[in-house]
This record gives sequence, C-alpha cells and structure tokens, in this order.
Amino acid sequence: MSRPFRKSWIARLLFAVAVWSLTTHVRAADQPLVELEEQAIKAAVERVTPSVVRIETVGGLERVGELLVGTGPTTGLVVDSEGYIISSAFNFAQKPDSILVTLPSGKRQAAQLVSTDRSRLLVLLKVETDEPLAPAEAAPQSEVRVGQWAIAVGRTFEAERPNASVGIISAKDRIWSKSLQTDAKISPNNYGGPLVDIRGRVLGVLVPMSPQETEEVAGVEWYDSGIGFAVPLETVLRNLPRMKEGKDLHTGLLGVSFKASDLNAKVAEIAVAAPTGPAFKAGFRKGDRIVEVAGQAVERHAQLKHAMGPLYAGENVRVVALRGDERIDREVTLAEKIDPYVTPFLGILPMRPVGKTEEGDAKGVAIRYVYPDSPAAKAGLQAGDLVQSIAGTKVTTPAQLREQLQPLAPGESVAIEALRGEQALLVNAELATLPESVPDELPPAYDSAALAAAEGAKPATGLVPIKLPEFENACQALVPDDFRADVPHGLVIWLHAPGGSKDEELVALWKPLCEKYDFILLAPKSANATRWQPTELGFVRRAADAVVKTYSIDPTRIAVHGHQAGATMAYLFGVTNIDLVRAVAAVDSPLPRLSQLPQPDPVNRQAFYTTQATKSEQSAAVEAGIDRLRALKYPVVVQPIGEQARYLTAEELNGLMRWLDSLDRI
Amino acid sequence: MKFATLQRLLVFLLLAFAAVDVRAASLAEVIDTTQPKMVKIYGAGGFNRLEAYQSGFLISAEGHIATAWSYVLDTDYITVTLNDGRRFEAKLLGADPRLELAVLKIEATELPYFDLNAATTADSGTRVLAFSNLFGVATGDEPASVQHGVVAVKTQLDARRGVFETPYRGSVYVLDAMTNNPGAAGGALINQRGELVAMLGKELRSAQNNIWLNYALPIEELRGSVSQILEGKFRPTTDVPKLKPDESIDLAALGLVLIPDVLERTPPYVDLVRGGSAAATAGLRPDDLIVFVGENLVHSCQGFRDELAHIERSTPLKLVLMRGQELVEVEVPAAERDLP
Repeated sequence: MSRPFRKSWIARLLFAVAVWSLTTHVRAADQPLVELEEQAIKAAVERVTPSVVRIETVGGLERVGELLVGTGPTTGLVVDSEGYIISSAFNFAQKPDSILVTLPSGKRQAAQLVSTDRSRLLVLLKVETDEPLAPAEAAPQSEVRVGQWAIAVGRTFEAERPNASVGIISAKDRIWSKSLQTDAKISPNNYGGPLVDIRGRVLGVLVPMSPQETEEVAGVEWYDSGIGFAVPLETVLRNLPRMKEGKDLHTGLLGVSFKASDLNAKVAEIAVAAPTGPAFKAGFRKGDRIVEVAGQAVERHAQLKHAMGPLYAGENVRVVALRGDERIDREVTLAEKIDPYVTPFLGILPMRPVGKTEEGDAKGVAIRYVYPDSPAAKAGLQAGDLVQSIAGTKVTTPAQLREQLQPLAPGESVAIEALRGEQALLVNAELATLPESVPDELPPAYDSAALAAAEGAKPATGLVPIKLPEFENACQALVPDDFRADVPHGLVIWLHAPGGSKDEELVALWKPLCEKYDFILLAPKSANATRWQPTELGFVRRAADAVVKTYSIDPTRIAVHGHQAGATMAYLFGVTNIDLVRAVAAVDSPLPRLSQLPQPDPVNRQAFYTTQATKSEQSAAVEAGIDRLRALKYPVVVQPIGEQARYLTAEELNGLMRWLDSLDRI
Repeated sequence: MKFATLQRLLVFLLLAFAAVDVRAASLAEVIDTTQPKMVKIYGAGGFNRLEAYQSGFLISAEGHIATAWSYVLDTDYITVTLNDGRRFEAKLLGADPRLELAVLKIEATELPYFDLNAATTADSGTRVLAFSNLFGVATGDEPASVQHGVVAVKTQLDARRGVFETPYRGSVYVLDAMTNNPGAAGGALINQRGELVAMLGKELRSAQNNIWLNYALPIEELRGSVSQILEGKFRPTTDVPKLKPDESIDLAALGLVLIPDVLERTPPYVDLVRGGSAAATAGLRPDDLIVFVGENLVHSCQGFRDELAHIERSTPLKLVLMRGQELVEVEVPAAERDLP
C-alpha cells in the first residue's frame, strides 16, 4: 500500500465517517424539532389536566331557540381551591335540573350554579368537597402574542384523560375586546375548558361567541371551523369575587344610540339618549359627541364598542363628550338594561302653523282637538286654548311643545300655562300613553283665514311621475290639485300588493282622501309586478326623499302603508327608516320575523296600524307581531276586519286617514 | 493535510446546507414515501348524495388493500386506482362489519405497502398526517390529499352507547383535523415518522352534542381481522351484530314507577317503589333521581328505559341516585329482580 494511496484511503474513510455523522447529525437535529414540539404540547396538556374537570347534566330543555342542545359531557376549569369551577354558559343553556362534576380523583359530586356572566357567556359552579383542587394558573395577557401556540383542552370523551386540539392564537381583543381568537378546533367537545400556552398556563376559557349576537348559543355554528374564542382567564379571575357572591354579570349599557350603523363611521353625535338610560341621567344629551370612554380616546364607532365591550353593568365609567365647545366629563354607572322608551301623551292635537305665521305668532300653541278622557281633557283644557308654557318653559310651536314633553314619562305630572281668550289658565296634567284607537271626526288642522293668497309658481299636481334614473322601478306621486306649499302636507307611501296597481283605480280611491286630509300619496312600483324584493327598499327611500324635498312634507305625518307582500315591505321599510317613517299601516300581513326590532325612539316616534282577521291563516302570526310590538311599548292600532283577510272598506280607509291625520298628536 | 482540510471544509459546507431545510425535507419525504401506498376506490353509489368512492391503502406487495366496509363495496365492480394512475378491478376478499373493515385484492406485484405488523400507536397530542381522497378531489395519478393535526384523545366508542350510529365498539383516535368527509373513509393516518397509526373512519355525528366526529380506527384493532381475512378464515359477511340483548330489564320487573314522562327530557325521578320488589330491596326511594346506570349518565325517563333495554336480564344492575344533594350508589341483584 503506497503512502498516497493510503492517504486517499484514509481520506475516503474520513469522508464516509463525516457523511455518516452528517446524516445522523441531521436526524438528531431533525427529530427534536418535530418531536420536542410534540413533547411540549403533551406536557402542556398534562400540566393543566388536574384543573380540567368533566361536567354532566341531567334534565333540561331539548332545544334552545332553534338549536338542538346535546346531552353529552362538557368541560369546566377549576379556578380556586374552594371548589369554584368556571365553564361556558353554552353548556347550561338547556337549564339542567342537576349538575354533576367529576373531580380529579374520579369522584362525582353534585354542583350548584352560582352565577352567570351574560356578557362573556360564562357560568360559575361550586362543588362541596374536601378533596384538594388545583386551580389553573393564568398566563399573563400582556405576554400573549398572535401566532404563539394555543392548545384547547376539554374532558368530554374520557373522564380519565383530556382531549386536546392544537392551533395558534389568531387574534387578541376580539368580540369587542372580550376574547382571544384561536384556530385550534373549538366545539362542544371543549367549551368551558382552557386554552393553554405551550407551557400549560391558561390563556382563556373556551366559549362560543359571535360579534353580532349575544345569546349563549351564538357562535356555535363556527364549531371546529378554525374560528374559536376564549375569554382571558385573567379577566375571569378579576371578576371572580363578584361572581362568587352569586351576582350575575351583565353587559354595561350607556343608553345612547347613534345614527350611523357603519362601525367605521366617525362617532357622530348622540342621536338618542334614552331618558331612562344612565347617560341621560348623568347629563348627556342628544347632539353631544362622545370623545373618550374609560380613558380611551374614541374617534370611530368601533372604538366606542371596543371601549364599552369589556365593561359590566354596575361599573362606573368616565365618559367625556363635547357639546359645541363645552367639555362634559361625567362618571356614568352602566345599566343592565334600558327600559323601553314610552312616549308621554298629553292628549291634544295642535293647530298646524300655516303660511308665514310661525315666527310671528309667538303667543303659544293653539289646541286643535282635545282627546276625550286624555290628561289634557281631565285637566280641563279645550280646543281653541293657547298653550303658552310647559313646566315653566315657554313654547310657541308644536315641535317645542313635543320636545319639552319628550324626557318625561307617562305618570309624571306637568304644569301647563294656557290662555283661553283673555283668561289665563294654570293646570296640572298627569301624562298618559299614546292612544291605540282611531279618533272620531277631527276639526280643521289649520286656520284657512290665516292663509295669504297663493302666489308664485306651484309645483306639479295630479299624478306626477317620480323619475329616479338609477332604478328601473316606476314611481308616481298623487298630489292634490289644491296643493299649496304653505299648508303642511303628510305623506303616505303606498306599497301595492303582488299584481301591481292600476293608475285609474289608484286615483279614484286616493284623490278624495288626499284632498280631504292634506296628504300626498307616493306609489312606488316593484320592478317585478308579482313580487317585492327587500333590495327595493333603497329605491322606495330615494323616491320618498325626492317627494319630501319637492313638497313641504310635515315630518310628523310620514307613513308607509301596504297590502299583503306590500305590507311586509311596509314593515321592513318602517323599521329600517326610523328617521323618516312615523307610522306603518299594514293590511293582511304579519310583522316579519326581523332579528331585531329597533327600540322606541323619543325623537323618531313610530306607531303601528294593522288589520286583524279572526279566521285567516295569518291570524296567529299577526297576533304574535302585535304582541312583539306592544312588548316594546309601541302603540298599535288593531282594526278588526271580520273572519277573512281583505283590503279596507271606504269607511275603514277614512278611519286610517284620520289616524294618520292625528300623528302630530302631543 | 491540505487534503484533510479540504475534506473538513466540504463536510462543514454539507452540514451547513443540510441544516437549512431539514424539517421540510423530512416531512416531504414522509409524504413522498406514503403516497404510493394510497389507493382510490370506486364502486356503488352516486345517487342520493351517496358518493361512489372512498379511500384505501396497500398492505402487501401483492395488492392487498385495507379500506372501510361500506355501501361503496356493495357491488361486483370495484375499481382501484393506484397512486401512479394504474387502474385495476378489485375483488372483495372479506369484510368485518363490526370493525367497518374490508380487505380488497388487486392483481399486481411489487407494490409499496404498509406493513401492518410495523404499525404503531399514538396518544393525545401526537401529531399526525391523514391521507385520503376526501370529496374525490384526486383522480387518476393525482396523489391523495394530505391533512395535518393532532390526536385529540384515544377513546372508546362502546363507552358511549347509542351516541354514535356505528356497530364499531372499540377504541378510536379522535382527531382535531377535519378528516372524516365523504370519500375519506379507509384513508391512512400516519405519524410524523411515516409510521402507520390508524385507518380513517366514516362520517359520524355524535348524538350527544350533535357535532361531527373525526376519528380513525387503530391498526391494532384491525390487525387480527385482517390476518384472518388474508388467511381465508374470515367468511365475507355483511351481517351487522345485534346491539341489544334478547331479554332485557324493564321497569315493571324492577318494581319501579317513574314520574309521568311529559316533557321531552323529563328527569328520571322515582315516583313509586313497589313493596317487596327488587327496587325496594335495593333501597330505592320515591323522589330519588336516577343519574347513572352503570357508567352511563341518563338524562331523562326515556334515556333510562333505553339504558335498561341494553342490559341483559341476568346481570346485576348498578345505579347511582341523587338523593337531595347526595350521590347514592345501589345495586339491584339479578336474582331478586325476576319476580313473577
């Protein structure tokens, strides 16, 4: 063996050894990477396991809403050593008769439901036991990073060992800053269990949630989808003392609403500050612009929701708003619920100011009509009296009078100064609620002697086409021939039944009514004569806006009236256009099942009129709709029409018009 | 010396390069070596939203295939497409409906395959890959779809009687990935080292919480039946085993009257215990709430009756009662129960 050869042989050997060690080295570097992660995941699950308990329930409802609830075991998390266990409210939505918890020793123990957190959808359970329990350790929220490991743990398949699902933290501060989001598979198999980090510390408690809805079963449709939520355990532990006292926690409400439904819109002025709500009581009013909540600057609507989201009813929060240049800085105690607003009713119809008298005749508000048995009648007020002040505040227009009464509630007493001829009156009236009946024949609404001779150009009258180039729908307005702009007119938006409507019949029926009651009729047509599409609501709104702009429409008397499918549209149009529509009159159609009806609004008052047949297929649904509206304290006039559904008779139609004529009631 | 330095440099360079994408390469390798063992199976179905396809994997070099026993195989014309796109007519060698298992055979040789004897096990947290032709996405020589996840838990389906509509009564791996979809049954579940762990099951919805279950049958559960089928000892059968005993326990025999079952989930409260009956002997009292029959929680009067229907008349009956806030265990012996 020559030396060079040997050298090269040794080199080859060395190389072979090097390559061998290389491959083993690669293996060694490779395996730990995959396996260390796997080991860490298993260790994390093992670490939290003593705090994860199995829960079983007996009895209860089979369905919650439309969801068939399961009977299988669910999961809970031990939060202190005294036997308190937190779980998801979803697991108890069926209101079980008994709750059984399997403790780490394997022993089953009856548990009591102590309290519920309705905002974060959690429940607190208590078991009486001598067995030492291992409370879960919370991972500090400040350390949580999007993208870190997140392991969801439940104890539903086996009592002896937990089930795990692995993912990452997808987002923080979800559901209006109430929860973490993860892509681990979250389902009834682990609701109520912990979401842990790679060290086994608890990030949060798993719950189904939805950004839009607040019921305990909301968000369940996202199970196992890669969209799951967990309420941070730190937050849970902070609120634990209150929950241990057996107090249910509720979302904290300010009692204000805003016009913009667009969450990215700048926080506009408060559109409504419910007189029954805490913000109003703290001194905030319609028109104030909220700029800060709980120390967080608020610029957009979504920021306000994020600032409010984590807060509970009963908590105090500092709210700062701007009223012009004035800075209003108040402490508000958040409410659990805002009682529906009930419009107070004095019991009068005001004379409508006509011509240019509005500013000049500053003596008071003339009474056109006093409702029999109303607070005004009981106080002795009469038609022709001139109301001069309400609760010490001078009023000169019906709008001012309405505004003064707005923050008052039915049952409250109010002092009224009035003038009868030369005689001064001071009376007290105890306010009532709006009537649910059609008034009898009414006296004229304005003083025709005060009208000046008609002058200038008159807008088009008769059957006027309303042209909206961007819509294919046809639309007409029926304007009384004697229309004049200095006499306030109401607007009836008529939505025809499937099959459309004929112009001649429309004119024959409505022309005399419009002339008698000072109304303009707007008759939009569905693009397809046989049916209305909800997408056509936008077109109806545009057509109404066009008429309101062209003719001086009295904003207190804008109504939408429909028959059959047109009535369904009328309801939809009414509740989605509360800034415009004051009344909905539905014939032969129930209130559609809207997910949410707007709360009655002090400024944008709404009233409802519906026909009711005793033996129609729709009777029960119509009845249910009436109940829903009345539960929210909306006034509802119910017109009986006999056994079978039909359109209104001439007499009933006159009654409807009288009711619409009285919408400016105070 | 110079040469040796060069060698060392070379080794160092190799090491440096190799370290870059070690993990991706190994996972890719595992998938590459697994795919040729996967097959696509076509048979009966194709109507009523019943898919006419499923998945399977090779378990011998001579074309033996393990797959799920299902209606797809209920035809004389089963076709199998290998990973390389070759198509074969397959013969149903045998099936074990209790395990939802079937073994097919195609006429081919020198095929890559999973050795069932080399199959391994997994537990909660084990990271796994699932191979299947879910939704029939792959056709011809397209490889099977690969999904990743972890084993959520290993559990017993038989402990949850009546919860799942399947005759299978053994252990399963519950997975946290959405593996059990149309066409996925019969697919292979492997660990990160490429070792076979389980066979993907069918679509199954839990009657307990109404959610879909993703599960796979451990190879250790299937191994025995597969070898019996291969040895020709297992007769092809489609009989589904009986789930209930011929003679079961009923309330009258116990001497027990429950409160009237008026709600959809009336809790099973005892209304009356007949004097001298088995229930009286065992110490049951009116107003006791029956919460467990053996290890099974009962939620309602109906649930209690269903549980009794699964118990052979001659076995002792173990009950757990809730008396006030106390849990009380009682045993009703079989002999005392059979009163005339």
